This record gives sequence, structure tokens and C-alpha cells, in this order.
Amino acid sequence: MRLAVIADIHSNREALDSVLAQIDGEGVEAILNLGDLVGYNASPNECLELLKSRNAWNLAGNHDLALLYPERAQHFNIIAYEALMWCRQQVRPEFLEFLQGLPLVREQPGSFMACHGTPASVDTYIAYHFQGKRVLKDLFKRADLRVCFFGHTHRRALWYRDIRGTVAVRQISPTPMKLSPEEHYLINPGSVGQPRDGNPEAAYAIFDDQEFSIQFKSAPYDVSGAQRRILDAGLPPYLAERLALGA
Amino acid sequence: MAYQKEGVLKDGARVKLRPLVKEDREMLLKFFQGLDAKELSFLRNDVRDPAVIDHWVNHIDYRRVFPLVAEADGRIVGDITLHMRKVGWKRHLGNVRVVVSPDYQGRGLGTLLINEIVELAGEFGLEKLIAEVHLQALGAFNAFKKAGFSVKAVFEDLVKDLTGKSSDLVVMICDIQARDK
Repeated sequence: MRLAVIADIHSNREALDSVLAQIDGEGVEAILNLGDLVGYNASPNECLELLKSRNAWNLAGNHDLALLYPERAQHFNIIAYEALMWCRQQVRPEFLEFLQGLPLVREQPGSFMACHGTPASVDTYIAYHFQGKRVLKDLFKRADLRVCFFGHTHRRALWYRDIRGTVAVRQISPTPMKLSPEEHYLINPGSVGQPRDGNPEAAYAIFDDQEFSIQFKSAPYDVSGAQRRILDAGLPPYLAERLALGA
Repeated sequence: MAYQKEGVLKDGARVKLRPLVKEDREMLLKFFQGLDAKELSFLRNDVRDPAVIDHWVNHIDYRRVFPLVAEADGRIVGDITLHMRKVGWKRHLGNVRVVVSPDYQGRGLGTLLINEIVELAGEFGLEKLIAEVHLQALGAFNAFKKAGFSVKAVFEDLVKDLTGKSSDLVVMICDIQARDK
């Protein structure tokens, strides 16, 4: 199966449009979305409509859950909180049911599993060695799965655990990266709607479970259009500034 | 910048958390005037001087210094600032300074403000936060510790209190992304 993996769209319509247009030329069989469809940016309804119409395999992220259960947003910082409260006022009721139906984890037997933060929690990050090691240890116990996709950090990452149990990150390459059937992997495709790894382009990845490879890609998009929507909506200006920086 | 969020203290009291704005001049001045001499000695500026407050509120730049205040009963009861650099070898670091009104000390407000600023620092892409704490400022020390800061260095007899007696300066660090939720 050839799969497009996207994550952390965060209501950025311009970025999602651009990524989906690029994915259309990739010959994929499915789109896997690792959650956080809403929050931060200013086009929640347009993004939800698009994802619904595409029949993507969507998962719920922490912002999606906070939109449904606002007490969860209490732990958000004041900027994320403000954007989520705005989003709650904007989202059309028909999409609440759609969001409520999103699973937290998806497993494709014999191929991969997927989550937003970690398989155990949408809120937990995989950013440091001890965090990656913990999730890879659990994945190792699953004989049928070699790959776990995750998002949440907004940064592309490829973690591996080799046959000796060593856990480390592999440097990201723009060309297809061959994976080893003897290793286990944690793969973060980066963020579509709010990348934070210095590249402002909308990030995604293409996974091929026959070739057993991953390719990290990105799509340029109308950043100024997305920024304009944020400012017009009265959201914190920092949310607009960061899009141009990829930060 | 009109956004805000509610915070709840240990005793159930509620405070409004929001960025400092220019219009807060009077409230901020009043807040600092409510601190006693010992608390004032831990601060870097003469905050009882209206000119200092004027300079702050007239030069707010949220990209350089993000000031967050806690408001209750129509007055400021806590103030925390996150100091950032956009370039150079410390661009991934932030410095945190916090002050809490005497009648709100010991109620969890300091920890609440620090937790809030740690989350915000993560949003700004910072990796580590630094707090320099006078060893006699026990309230601040405990609040930083509860919020995930740990002591990384102690400079013995480096600073002085009001009477001229030397004391230790403690440098505390918080690794933002390693704070496991």
C-alpha cells in the first residue's frame, strides 16, 4: 500500500489545499491524517469539509478533543487557548459529530499503527530520547507492526530501534528513505498547517509498505493568504507571524 | 491583545490570566507598590518608580518580552515575564521572572503563572527556560521547582540582601519538551 501521511493541519486551508493537490499526483491509495484538524489557524470549517469529502483516515488530536471538551483546553497556553475558543464559536454543528467519531489510534494489521501524540496519549510528545525509547519499546512487543506514525510536535522525525535495542533518530532526507525490516520505526511527517522545523512549506510524507520506504515531502502554499485570515479573524498575531518562519 | 484565560488557585479562587497591555499602567504601579521592602530587593528594577512602569508599558514588544499578568478583583495580583532573544547562541533559551502579590503568596499563583509561561515558551519554540533565584526568595524557589525547574548551579555568597548580608544565587533550568505530560 502506498499511503500519504499528513498531520497537524490546524485549520490551515491554504496549506491543506496545496498538500492535497500535490498528493493527488502521488498515486496513493489512502490518506492517513494524524489529528489536530482544528485550532491555531482560521479556516476550520473549510478544512473539516475537505477532509470529510476525501474520506481520509482521520485521527483525533489534542486540539480536536479540546474543541469537543473545552475543559481539556484549560491546559493550553493562552495563545492556543484563544485560538481554540475562537474555533469553538466557528465550527458548524454538523462537524462536531464528525470530530466525535474520530478514533485516537489506528492499526493496519501487518503494516503500521498511527496516533497523534503517542499510542497511549494525545497530549504526550515524542521529542526526546527517553520519550521515543518508551514508545518504541511498546511497539517492539507487537510482532506484526514495525512502524508507528505520530504527529503533535510539528517537526519531521524518523526514530528507529535496531535489533540490539539501540534507539536513535535518523537524519531526514528529501529522497525516499529505505527502511529495514529488522528495525522498528516512529515516523512524524511534520505539520501541514503550522510547521515548526524551520521550513514554512506544508509538510507531509509518502509511505510505501511494499517497498518499505518513507519519503518526507513538503508543498509551498499561499502563506500570506493564511496569515490574512488569522489577522482578519482577530486571532493572536503571533499565529500569523510564525507561519512565514516555519516556527 | 484582548485574549485571556481563567486560572484556579489551590483554595479555589479564580484569577484572569492575560498579556499585559499599555492600559495596565496604573494597576501595575499599584501592584508593585504593594510589595514589601524584602520582596522589592529581589527585583532588578526600582518598580516603585512610575518612570520605570511607563517605560515598560510604552515599549511592549511581545516578541522580545512577553508579560503575563494575573488579575483578580479588578487588580493585578501576579506578574510574570518571559524574556527572549531571536538571534545568537541563546536564541532557544528564555529567562523567566515572576512576582506575586503578598496576599496571593502560598496559594499556588506563582506555580500557575510559571506553568502558563512554560507552555507559552513551548509555543514560541523555546527549548529551555532559565530562572535566577535569590536563595532567600523561598516562595519563588518552590514555585519554580513545582513547575518543573531544577537547580543547575549555585553561586555561593554572590548576592546581598537589604542588610548587606551575602547569600546564594540559584540558577534553575526547565527543559520544556522533556516535561512529560
